[in-house]
Amino acid sequence: MNKTQRRDLALGLGFLAPNIIGFLVFTLGPLLFSLYLAFTNWDLRLHNMFKDEPLRFVLLENFSRMLNDPDFWQYLINTLFLMISIPFSIAGSLFAAILLSKDTDGGNNWVRKRLIAGAALVFGVSCLVLAGAGSSAIVLLIVGLAGAIMVGGTLGGTTVYRTLFFLPHFTSGVATYILWKKLYNPNTGPITTFLRPSLELTADLVNGLPAGVVQFGSWLTMALMLVLVVWGLRRFVLSWRDGEMGWISVLLGLVFLSLPPIFSCYWAQPSLTGWLVAGGGVLALLATAGIVSRGRDYTCQADEGLGNGIMLGAVLMIGQFALLGLGIVLHMLPSLATDGLETPEWLTQYDWAKPSLMFMGMWAAIGSNNMLLYLAGLSNVPGELYEAAEIDGTSSFQKFWNVTWPQLAPVTFFIVVMSTIGGLQGGFEMARVMTAGGPAGSTTTLSYYVYNEGFTTGRLGYAAGVAWAMFVLVFSVTVFNWKFGSRQIND
Amino acid sequence: MADAPTHMIENRTREFMRRKLTSTGLLHVVLTLFSLSLALPFVWMALTGLKTIEEAGMDTWLPEKFMWGNFARVFETKGIQFGRWYWNSLYIAAAVTFLQVLTSSMAAFSFSRLKWPGRDKVFLLYLGTMMLPWLVMMVPNYQLMIKLGIVDTYWGLIIPASFSAFGTFLLRQFMLGIPTSLDEAAEIDGATKWQLCWDVILPLARPGMITLAIFTFIGNYQSFFWPLVMMKSVHRYTLPIGLMFFDSTQGQVTNLLMAAITMSVVPMIVIFVVLQRHLVRGIQLGAVKG
Repeated sequence: MNKTQRRDLALGLGFLAPNIIGFLVFTLGPLLFSLYLAFTNWDLRLHNMFKDEPLRFVLLENFSRMLNDPDFWQYLINTLFLMISIPFSIAGSLFAAILLSKDTDGGNNWVRKRLIAGAALVFGVSCLVLAGAGSSAIVLLIVGLAGAIMVGGTLGGTTVYRTLFFLPHFTSGVATYILWKKLYNPNTGPITTFLRPSLELTADLVNGLPAGVVQFGSWLTMALMLVLVVWGLRRFVLSWRDGEMGWISVLLGLVFLSLPPIFSCYWAQPSLTGWLVAGGGVLALLATAGIVSRGRDYTCQADEGLGNGIMLGAVLMIGQFALLGLGIVLHMLPSLATDGLETPEWLTQYDWAKPSLMFMGMWAAIGSNNMLLYLAGLSNVPGELYEAAEIDGTSSFQKFWNVTWPQLAPVTFFIVVMSTIGGLQGGFEMARVMTAGGPAGSTTTLSYYVYNEGFTTGRLGYAAGVAWAMFVLVFSVTVFNWKFGSRQIND
Repeated sequence: MADAPTHMIENRTREFMRRKLTSTGLLHVVLTLFSLSLALPFVWMALTGLKTIEEAGMDTWLPEKFMWGNFARVFETKGIQFGRWYWNSLYIAAAVTFLQVLTSSMAAFSFSRLKWPGRDKVFLLYLGTMMLPWLVMMVPNYQLMIKLGIVDTYWGLIIPASFSAFGTFLLRQFMLGIPTSLDEAAEIDGATKWQLCWDVILPLARPGMITLAIFTFIGNYQSFFWPLVMMKSVHRYTLPIGLMFFDSTQGQVTNLLMAAITMSVVPMIVIFVVLQRHLVRGIQLGAVKG
């Protein structure tokens, strides 16, 4: 190293010094120490000021204990279960972004003036009429708010709506979790009081129907779900044959496609319907495997069409989960409705705690960074593509499916990867603030487990072990991203 | 234009504009309904915060009488040191923001503007740690805090948060976009590297620094895990921990709890509304990494 190089090094490190010292002490050091910890039996119940047993190096004992611990598996499944909401929120973000990317001021003053006037007029008249007709204060309030938002929106354009969409995500934290805990209150919470009348109506309706009709509806939704599976399989098989998708793409798409059947198996275990759906899904998968193994007409690279594969799988997954949920509800309705329907105790009932958290998560995730990324992505779609599509006389759905969706594939890929990474590490705050991980551990995620072991029980070595297991999960997603992400973006 | 009969053109434009008016109007209706449904929880929060305690248990939304005094009463509630928590949160978030922007911008300058052997390897190390789950570091970090004797102090929250790989990354991305011709010009004028950093690059990187400052401030204002494990005395709680304490000790006082939550959310709403342009850009910049 010559003199200039030494000087450069000193200068570079000098500027870096304040940061790198902290980085070494609070990030890299703890990181390495944590890796060491994961192979020791450090436990605050054994090693404390009263009882000082020597720290032992236990090799893989922590990991083998983890893998043999049914709790760990339950918490892992909880974590994955909560992640089902991710595709729903992403779809919501995309929908919001598409709405926001549309032209809200009508393009010229003539339209704009009339829009503002119209909004103000509707707002004013409806307020007056409602006040005059003596409707309840809350209706007045809601209509008033809607009118105010609309007037604001016509005046301020997209920014007003974007702000409102983004607020749930931006403020999400302990404060909004406590708020939702109150919203979910089974006696006085507004969600319960809002749903109660409509549930009574539903109960009356179900009881009035001849026996078997609702059950038939349940079977019908399940059948539809299977149709969706079969249709998806067909799409994958065709894309495989035509060389549009490589084996990695097909495999991943199939993983997404098969998640709902697997979960229906896990969730609705005692019900025949669940087993049938799961069995059908597995059978169909086997069938595809058979077809795919027969070879194909055109070959392509293994990760060809990866974005499309994942997205097709994810879209079908959303549809399947929606149908599955409906089917399960319909299946249970007749027996429940005989004594009148009650709202569940959202956060304290085993089967409802997770869906409640997921619903809240979606509220916070729709207007999130994902929406902003989609907005940026939408503005980058070349306008000529739409013009060409218009000349071909396509419908707006076709335009979306054939132009917008493929053009957004890189953005979606990025969002899916990031959300998956976030989802694997998530759930701690909700669990700590809203449910304490309960009931019966049904909302305990991996991160909450690490917290409990490391900071409540005091099994530091074991906690580090679980944290590193989580790292392995996250890292595999990251590697996947490295391997295929840049390709997606270049496509 | 002058060739065609004017009334025909007018008619056609009228019709086009009418259609445009209908479609845009519909769009506004959909957007309004969407944002209204997302905003409803906040509406309930603010209204419940204005109710009396008896009314807070009822299923009406609107209070009979608006109790504006609730906000003041939160500060006077026994066992709830709301003012103190508020101050702690703002103070800690501000201190962390100042230190983090300072250390990150200097490090980003070093990574983007200076050439020194091993630079890219060190940067890769920074990037690598960003992908790790934060939980991995928490157990050892807490033991470190015990060793340093700063558990249950403000320093224990401020110091570890003042160094950020993400902040360094974000600002480096930003500084890479500043043309290098400026460096050369400054060098010809005989500026030292320190002057280059302080007088040329940092002023130009200000938008990036503002973005990072907002992220850091909000992140620390909202931060939950670390204060939760670090702070033991009630008067040192930050807002999130304090609100959780409020909920678990006096959660049945829904109206005051909601008033407290409203007050804790308001600063964020203000920050967002005022500074959203910086934020939106920052989020899109942070994602460039892929």
